[in-house]
Amino acid sequence: MERWSNVFVIWIFFCLLTGCGAHRAKRDMIVLLPEPDAKGGAITVTTKGGSQIIDNPGHATEIEDSNKPPMTPKSIEEKEIKDVFGPALAAQPDPADRFVSFILNFEHDTTKLTHESKNLLPEILQTIKNRKSKEVFVVGHTDLVGTEAYNIELSSRRANHIRNLLVSSGIKSSGLYVSYYGKARPLVLTKDHVPEPRNRRVEVIVR
Amino acid sequence: MNCKERLILPLAIIFFLLSIGGGVPPVNASPSIAIVKKLSGMATVVRQECTISATTGLEIWKNDTIRTGPDGSIGIIFNDDTFLSLGPDSILVIDEFVFAPKQGNFSIAIRVLKGTAAYLSGLIAKLAPEATHFKIPTASIGIRGTKFAVKVEKE
Repeated sequence: MERWSNVFVIWIFFCLLTGCGAHRAKRDMIVLLPEPDAKGGAITVTTKGGSQIIDNPGHATEIEDSNKPPMTPKSIEEKEIKDVFGPALAAQPDPADRFVSFILNFEHDTTKLTHESKNLLPEILQTIKNRKSKEVFVVGHTDLVGTEAYNIELSSRRANHIRNLLVSSGIKSSGLYVSYYGKARPLVLTKDHVPEPRNRRVEVIVR
Repeated sequence: MNCKERLILPLAIIFFLLSIGGGVPPVNASPSIAIVKKLSGMATVVRQECTISATTGLEIWKNDTIRTGPDGSIGIIFNDDTFLSLGPDSILVIDEFVFAPKQGNFSIAIRVLKGTAAYLSGLIAKLAPEATHFKIPTASIGIRGTKFAVKVEKE
């Protein structure tokens, strides 16, 4: 009797190890990963059969058949991410090699920097100098209050204001690239016409 | 023409064009679009029918195919700060890469044919999100500034 119970235990153990012939199909998998510098990121996975949006870090979708839509995204365990993607993730280049990005915030409907952001300017200048950067990107945004056209103009004024500040602090204008997007790319997703201080911003990206 | 000559020829043509161009500044003089930053095990770059062993610091060109061996992995940084890495037994093709902020031209088109890859979007995703095209054999992936990984089972 006892012998049989041993066999049973071994069988259960074996099951746990192998997935018990549940026949885990070999499917393509796409997982959104957490990234502190890219909050609000999302991916859309589209097959011939349809598409799925993944906007939750740690969620994954699988593709059974390219003629069917991708499966509904669901949370997967960190261990599984490590098992499947460990070597690829370990080969990601060093974050220290990344461009450095700063966010400057503004008072409502103005090109006036908030107090905290004003204090950030010396650090930005120092970073540009330390890196001997020949390319600095200045990208303007607004929150979702007001019309598209008005906000395009406001984001342009904000970005150019920062550009001019950098130039007057001795940064060569030939290395400064200004772009602006109005209300099209909020950092924090809100409904239209909602004031949101974090969206009133200029991003300065230093190569 | 052997492998090496075939690689040198385009460079020679570029230098020739530049030399007859006189005062024209060398826009895009280098075909390099990315650089190998991390490497372990075996990885190769297939360029115009030539196979080059990957080394850290190797420049990557448009239309390169990158392959990793059973124990290989590789991490590269594109000129726009996009990070891309491959796990073992993987194949990646770079169909298009344009990062020309002065002209306002941006484009990145990548296919992972096999294996595993991790992707962290760079400046192109920020400045021109529509200009990123990432494909696997069964699907295309639209990206809004983020980090993700893919596993492709079949080539």
